[in-house]
Amino acid sequence: MSKSLQLKEEGNRHFQAGDYIGADSLYSKASPIHPTSIIADPKNPALYTNRAMARLKLNHWDSVISDCETCLSLSPNNMKAHYYLAQAQLSLRDFDGALQHALEAHKLCAANNDKSLAAVTGIVLRCKKERWADREKKRLRLETEVEDRMVELLRKERDEMLAAVAPGDEAERKAIEDEADERMNVLRNVFEAAREQNQKKREVPEWAIDDISFNVMVDPVITKTGKSYERASIMEHLRRHPSDPLTREPLTPADLRPNLALRQACEEFLDKNGWAADW
Amino acid sequence: MATGMRSKRVAKERQKIDKFGLPPGIELVEGNDLKEWLFDIRVLDSNPIYDGNIFRLKFVFSDTYPIEPPEVTFIERPSRPIPIHPHIYSNGIICLDLLGNQGWSPVQSAESVCMSIQSMLTSNTKNERPPGDEEFVRGNKQRPRDIEFLYHDNTV
Repeated sequence: MSKSLQLKEEGNRHFQAGDYIGADSLYSKASPIHPTSIIADPKNPALYTNRAMARLKLNHWDSVISDCETCLSLSPNNMKAHYYLAQAQLSLRDFDGALQHALEAHKLCAANNDKSLAAVTGIVLRCKKERWADREKKRLRLETEVEDRMVELLRKERDEMLAAVAPGDEAERKAIEDEADERMNVLRNVFEAAREQNQKKREVPEWAIDDISFNVMVDPVITKTGKSYERASIMEHLRRHPSDPLTREPLTPADLRPNLALRQACEEFLDKNGWAADW
Repeated sequence: MATGMRSKRVAKERQKIDKFGLPPGIELVEGNDLKEWLFDIRVLDSNPIYDGNIFRLKFVFSDTYPIEPPEVTFIERPSRPIPIHPHIYSNGIICLDLLGNQGWSPVQSAESVCMSIQSMLTSNTKNERPPGDEEFVRGNKQRPRDIEFLYHDNTV
């Protein structure tokens, strides 16, 4: 057994036992000068993904990212590297990057019938949800800021008009003040109504929901009955029973076809309604 | 990797029930836990066998739900008897193909299972237990879904 394989297997044992620091240092070739930067076999991609997994458990996001990137430069289609990278980027709030790598991992899982498909589908949904939540927060903050500024402008305009009123002309003063109050009220109400509208529309259309997991679909596949399911869910079912969930007729993974139009519709729905990723 | 689908799926079934309610005659008694629910069901049409009775169903969702079926049994409580039916043993075990590994489908839900059981009671005309009930209740150690039931009488 080569030294690097030995170190890797020992690292795996430490990982299994929950000793992530120990696993990290075994995946790295412990060197007194560069304790973490040198890895036992710089050409072995599995060492990088294993170490990334240990570092993921330790919340060392930056080093997860560098390990995954190194791994991807050696082996661009490494599913685990994309998967761990997405998780680290998500923790660092790089939502676009995280989603991109989560989708890449998902594509590889689907193509290789990988058992991690369900977990990877979950990460894709989480990325979409958190990306939406982040955009939503920014949008709300901007809206509130615009609202406050507009009110401030109206107030300024009123004050300028009041300054120009002849001394003692109380009727004119009152008219200016009333008009300004009304305008400010209208402005506040319009913004408030927009906010309420946003809260109301929180309903997930039936067509977007997978009848097995009850989640919004990420990668819908269609069976010969014409019904679509989330790929991860139906694959999980077919592993136990190669039958159509509706008709119980024989059904195998090879019979499934991607439903591209529905996939796009679900994608567009989630882009606008990221909250639904956790409906 | 385990599916890990159960908690989210059960939570979503719960949300759906809270939002849309349940069909008449079916009521969720205890549904806060994501592993175990209790329902009360009663027969709506006048069936002299079950007249005025309410029955309690226990659902146990395993980690592999909904890929595998929930374990569903009637449980006995004061004023909640075990219904008399040729496919229901006196210990509450229900012989229904939908609840076995072969008959189950992941598109079924707790609600749809309740409805199937409700209609199984509604249409029953035989005021009797399954053949061999006493012996079965004494001897059975298996989990309901693993039992290979013989469907003695498919007319019920």
